[in-house]
Amino acid sequence: MASVEITGLRKLYGNVMALSDITLSIPSGAFYTLLGPSGCGKTTLLRTIAGFHAQNSGQIAIDGASIEDLPAHKRDVAMVFQDYAVFPHLSVRDNVAFGLKQRKVNRTEIDTRVTEVLEVVQLGHLADRMPHELSGGQQQRVGLARAIVVRPKVLLMDEPLSNLDAKLRVDLRAELRRIQRDLGITTVYVTHDQEEALAMSDIVCVMHGGIIQQAAPPLDIYLRPANRFVATFVGANNFLAVSRTAAKATLVSGGAEITPLIRDDGPVVGAMRPEDVRVLAAGTTAPEGDIIVSARIREISFIGREMEIFAQTDAGEHIKAVSRPDPAIVALPENSPVTLAIRPDDLSFFVDSGDGVRVP
Amino acid sequence: MSALTRLRHMDFWTAITVLILTVLALLLILPILRVLMLGFVDADTGGFTFGNFVEVFTRNYYLNGFKNSLYVALLGTLGACLIGIPLAFFTARFVVAGQTWISTLAILVLVAPPFIGAYAWIMMLGANGFITNFFAHFGINTPTIYGAHGIVLVFTLKFFPFIYLMTQTSLNGMNKSFEDAAENLGCTPWQRFTKITLPLVFPAVSTGAIICFVLAIADFGTPAILGRGFRTLSTIAFSAYRSELGGLPTMAVTVSIVMMAMSMLALLAQRRILAKRRYASALTNPPRKQRMQGWRNVAMHLFCHGIVLIAMLPTLVVVYTSFLKTNGPVFIGGFGLESYERILRTAPDAITNSFIFALSAVVLITIFSGLISYVIVRRDTAASGAIDFLMMVPYLVPGVVIAIGYVTTFRGGPLDVVGTAGLLILLYFIRRLPYGVRSTTSSLRQIKPSMEEAAVNLGAPPAHAFLIITVPLILPGLIVGALMGFITAINELSSTLILYDGGTITMPVQIYLAVLDGEFGLAGALSTVLLICTGACVYAVFRFAENRDSAFL
Ligand SMILES: Nc1ncnc2c1ncn2[C@@H]1O[C@H](COP(=O)(O)OP(=O)(O)O)[C@@H](O)[C@H]1O
Ligand SMILES: [Mg+2]
Repeated sequence: MASVEITGLRKLYGNVMALSDITLSIPSGAFYTLLGPSGCGKTTLLRTIAGFHAQNSGQIAIDGASIEDLPAHKRDVAMVFQDYAVFPHLSVRDNVAFGLKQRKVNRTEIDTRVTEVLEVVQLGHLADRMPHELSGGQQQRVGLARAIVVRPKVLLMDEPLSNLDAKLRVDLRAELRRIQRDLGITTVYVTHDQEEALAMSDIVCVMHGGIIQQAAPPLDIYLRPANRFVATFVGANNFLAVSRTAAKATLVSGGAEITPLIRDDGPVVGAMRPEDVRVLAAGTTAPEGDIIVSARIREISFIGREMEIFAQTDAGEHIKAVSRPDPAIVALPENSPVTLAIRPDDLSFFVDSGDGVRVP
Repeated sequence: MSALTRLRHMDFWTAITVLILTVLALLLILPILRVLMLGFVDADTGGFTFGNFVEVFTRNYYLNGFKNSLYVALLGTLGACLIGIPLAFFTARFVVAGQTWISTLAILVLVAPPFIGAYAWIMMLGANGFITNFFAHFGINTPTIYGAHGIVLVFTLKFFPFIYLMTQTSLNGMNKSFEDAAENLGCTPWQRFTKITLPLVFPAVSTGAIICFVLAIADFGTPAILGRGFRTLSTIAFSAYRSELGGLPTMAVTVSIVMMAMSMLALLAQRRILAKRRYASALTNPPRKQRMQGWRNVAMHLFCHGIVLIAMLPTLVVVYTSFLKTNGPVFIGGFGLESYERILRTAPDAITNSFIFALSAVVLITIFSGLISYVIVRRDTAASGAIDFLMMVPYLVPGVVIAIGYVTTFRGGPLDVVGTAGLLILLYFIRRLPYGVRSTTSSLRQIKPSMEEAAVNLGAPPAHAFLIITVPLILPGLIVGALMGFITAINELSSTLILYDGGTITMPVQIYLAVLDGEFGLAGALSTVLLICTGACVYAVFRFAENRDSAFL
């Protein structure tokens, strides 16, 4: 168990900036997830921590000690690979024992620790199989066992579940989290799957274009996204134009006055989650105090547990709403006028320029 | 980081890269540069001159050699194309019985000792050849095998497997939809072949043709044995070297440079033409084989099997003559093992030397192939690009050139301590290294880099990770590379002829000398020994290689 401290980390490939001034702090024992779209630099950051390549500048410290001068094989961080990277010419047991042998652990201890860890990942019965006799999920368990058996200071995982099918992914996700909790091992986990990130992490660090957008517990990320990018990438968000004068702020669509909601000057946009938007057939009255926006139906898709409604406001904004299926709504033809009702509390605001920082 | 700490932190693979570059600089670049420089040296005064080149391009002796080389190389390549392309087309597009047999024979022809063809044809079609004698019986005069057309014949039959195997691979990988579309658009089968199929296999055919051309230019054994006054640049270079012995081999070197320039120009020309034609196609619709009917079917089978049998004929003749009863150089009728007795009596050195040299070279080849392929595949630096490029050089430099380079660079220099045997081993190593590197590289490209990363990540130092993870995974490639290295090293003739001395004679040299002396029984027995080693290696390659045919290209 160890804490990780990264300061001012930069990494360039040629003149492509893959990591730009990354500063973050991972508490001991935390499950820390790097989340972001493909190409945002997650893998690069993880591999820099592992020592597979050197950063251009910046520091990485584990438990306060800089690891800059340690070559990859001395860093004592263990990695679980996206493509499993199980050694095909070694049995499951030898794969798992590999790191212990490198650490010159004695034979009897290797045997007990390997047997123990294989039980933890539920592979005890397959110890003498060769990798090609295992399924993808089983191979990834070997990858995990091989990494945790050396009791590394930090466990690194690069999209370990992304090559598995959906059902297995969800099962293994829970198992990974349980094992990590039991061992209390500091973990840096990379994924582009927001659901995975939210479900597993203590802290989610959202990255975009080699820059950290926000690092916070999952609920904070979801409820109080730091900027427009996080707001759209984690869960969806609808944006509404706001018109402001010195004295007054109103929604362009529907004209509702929202002056007291905004504690900032300058141009902003309003945002709301699809599940916070209620769609009412024309003529239905909205609950007291709700903000009302009128719109027309573009498309409705009923997907079982819920329905997704795509509507367009009078000002032309595209709005997505998600709610429990309502027969009266699902039956509405295209272009039917509807009323969108939003509780003022569910509306948040972002600066309408540059990085689109959240307005408190 | 200061320069000093950087040096201390220099990782394993950087050190290996430096080692590889040093070895290549010393054993490959230096001798070649030395040869290139010698071409501009006046043998008498030691000063700088263009005179050598002026001489080569003005004196008829050299000009004829130049024309002759070009003539036999071009015609030999053309001949190889004329039988290789149809053979490939038939076996790739039609059901041909005994397909594996055909490709196995073609591969055996490819790897058989290069000069065997030449002297076996003498035994068949020479002044006292059995085919000559057979026809003479009926008063028919067969054309003599000596001279240009004999060399062209041998080249054709020796080199067609390159064209055949490359074209076949390309045809098998071609999307059938192209041909279907052409047919659908109203092309006759012949139009379809010339307008669609042929252009699409052009890259493969031209690559095969370039290999033939380069090998034909560099070939020494065939014109030396069959030439009889018809001199090519390689035989001229060799005799110039012999006559300049003691002095500076400036003329030998100048002629060699011209040979090298011809090979390189041909390669550059082909690259230029190819650059404009890149056809990528996913193999979504693999070609299906048709069944040919009636007399066409018979004719096609006769052609396919006839070609490989004729090409194998020299080998069969050689093995046959090795079992003829002899008394000294004279065949006295009937069968016997005298020739084998004689090689054990007179040439045991040649056999042991050949094995020692080839095996030592193979050990070096294997070690360096592993390291070099790792640097080429896994490290993305200017140095690894340079090494990759340098691996093409030994293909292009004729054996005579590099051997003269070795003599002039290392004889009397500090490296002379390794002796002639050592120099021969180093020479075989550097000349055959590309075979090992190519095979190992293609093996390594199929191994995910995460394998080594996982090992390092789990605490294995890079060198250790390479040994216990990478090496076992690329073992098939290493083995195939080692076998190819062995086959080509043990059959090496031209550069050995320049370097060898009394104690370092090898089987190919002994065979060459025996042929010059008319000792065909002795030559046959030694050649058979070589053929058996080669055949055993080919069999092993078949066992280990993923794609048995392309492993030999
Ligand atoms: N070896 C490399 N050479 C050049 N560019 C690279 C290399 N690896 C990654 N990149 C670039 O760096 C950026 C970040 O890549 P990566 O860390 O792999 O992203 P992620 O894992 O988030 O998908 C991308 O723009 C990618 O194209
Ligand atoms: Mg990635």
